[in-house]
Amino acid sequence: MRRLASWLPEWASPWAAAGFVVVLVALYALPLVVVLDPYTHGILTQTFMFVAAALAWNWLGGYVGQISFGHAAMFGVGGFVTARLLLSTDLPFFAAWVVGGLVAGVYGLLWGHPTLRLRGPYFAIATIGVGEATRLVATFWSSFTGGSSGISLPIPSGDFKQALYWYALYFMAAVVLLSYYLRKSRIGLGLLAIKGDVDAAGDVGVSATFYQDVVLVLSGIVVGISGGFYASFFSFIEPSDMFGFERSISLVLMGVIGGIGTILGAALGAVVYVILQENLIASYPDLYLGLYGLLLVAVILFEPLGLSGLLMRGARLVGYRPGAGVAAGGIGGAAATEATGGAPEEEPTLEEARP
Amino acid sequence: MLEIDDIEVYYGDAQAIFGLSLEVGEGEVVTLVGSNGAGKTTTLRAVAGIRAPRSGDIRFEGESLLKIPPHERAERGIALVPEGRELWPQMSVRENLELGAFGKRARGRVEESLGQVMSLFPRLEERADQLAGSLSGGEQQMCAIGRALMSKPRLLMFDEPSLGLAPILVRQVFETVRHLHADEGLTILLVEQNLRKALESADRGYVIETGRIKTEGPSKELLQDETIRSAYLGI
Repeated sequence: MRRLASWLPEWASPWAAAGFVVVLVALYALPLVVVLDPYTHGILTQTFMFVAAALAWNWLGGYVGQISFGHAAMFGVGGFVTARLLLSTDLPFFAAWVVGGLVAGVYGLLWGHPTLRLRGPYFAIATIGVGEATRLVATFWSSFTGGSSGISLPIPSGDFKQALYWYALYFMAAVVLLSYYLRKSRIGLGLLAIKGDVDAAGDVGVSATFYQDVVLVLSGIVVGISGGFYASFFSFIEPSDMFGFERSISLVLMGVIGGIGTILGAALGAVVYVILQENLIASYPDLYLGLYGLLLVAVILFEPLGLSGLLMRGARLVGYRPGAGVAAGGIGGAAATEATGGAPEEEPTLEEARP
Repeated sequence: MLEIDDIEVYYGDAQAIFGLSLEVGEGEVVTLVGSNGAGKTTTLRAVAGIRAPRSGDIRFEGESLLKIPPHERAERGIALVPEGRELWPQMSVRENLELGAFGKRARGRVEESLGQVMSLFPRLEERADQLAGSLSGGEQQMCAIGRALMSKPRLLMFDEPSLGLAPILVRQVFETVRHLHADEGLTILLVEQNLRKALESADRGYVIETGRIKTEGPSKELLQDETIRSAYLGI
């Protein structure tokens, strides 16, 4: 353990790193050891992809505190650029995903640079506008998106479908690592500072404009790659699904259910979302959006840190005390202060406080 | 070092500062004193870059700051200890301090600066891993001062550092100001309501009233001034 720890970055706990590797190896080996039916195999593949997308949404929503209701725009751009590239060029599929992601990142910067100077609800409202405007443009730009009838990709071979599982797993692993880097490094500290108080962040030399732009571009790239992956996985995409408001909301839901601003939370949120979606859509096709709404209200009312808040409560029951700052998540960070609590201590006296 | 030249600052249509000029020379402690709503905080916010003046100029070491964004001003050596501390309550004391050294110039010396701040305020070392929101008022003020020092500033601006503190802590805050000036050689712009304490710590003072400088001069003279004594000190 100690030798492993020596080449890890200082912010990474060796136990977390070991757990991460164990889970990855287990998931990698799963389809080799057990015969998975195609449905389960597909659900797992989608889950990996959504975990990546949810983490990327969380960089903006959780780390910087800018809740986006418009991430479907990048998901769709990534998806359609990838699809067009795969149809009309000989580019290998992973290159098409990357190009799709990069275009989505640039698109994010295009609308994000002006709107990110808004904060809180004002930014959220602007992103709804961006998402809907993008959806409309995409729906009417039928030469590119195929309009409301969408576009089809060649049906992939069974082997390719199998391989997508591992590609999604690698993608998710990379995004998890990037999430930890963004959260734990000096940059992460700057992002939390912006979330807590933009003016104070500027006073200490954190450029809110620069870091918010960087985070949005990274987030857009990952969500765009997810969109491209989604296109490859389903071999058929259409604008109202890719760019729809439900798509944006789904990312918000994953973040909120799991616990905004936390890494494990966003990942768990994506898992729960996929499970809920599969079961609710099958059983209550008319009601499921309403049920999501209720779920959202319940989480925000009773456990603003979502599943990770519940986990932390559980951990406290068995005597684990998380260090300060671990829970710097929540909407606006307010939940965390409350959860960790602590009354002001007595005032220091003159003698104690002076050298 | 800092020259504020005839600035006018507005909040929407409401004018807060009317042609204010002020100068802080290298190595000086200058205080800007006045009552509530006189425009003291607004002046500091203009220097820090949070609120842009509509006209006039602000120069730091001869160069105009008006086109420089706030985070760049921190990089140039201007630090603000804001009114009400403005710490990040959900982050630990150490994280708050480290954020103070976010800029390029201060980044490489985080550990060294942390050591200096902790030896100035040993209380912060004990509290390093606590959430800043759980500190008492006096400790929060130390943390805010420490955060400003982490950026290795040359001009340190205090916005009402004595606000809401017990008398013993007020005394301590002013002692810290004197220490930073005398022993660390920092240039200080101190904004205060506590006129007597501020003038006792400063070389020169400006008295601000409804957005205009009313009187200025060496602190000793201002403390003797009859009108100031009757208007602000009640003697």
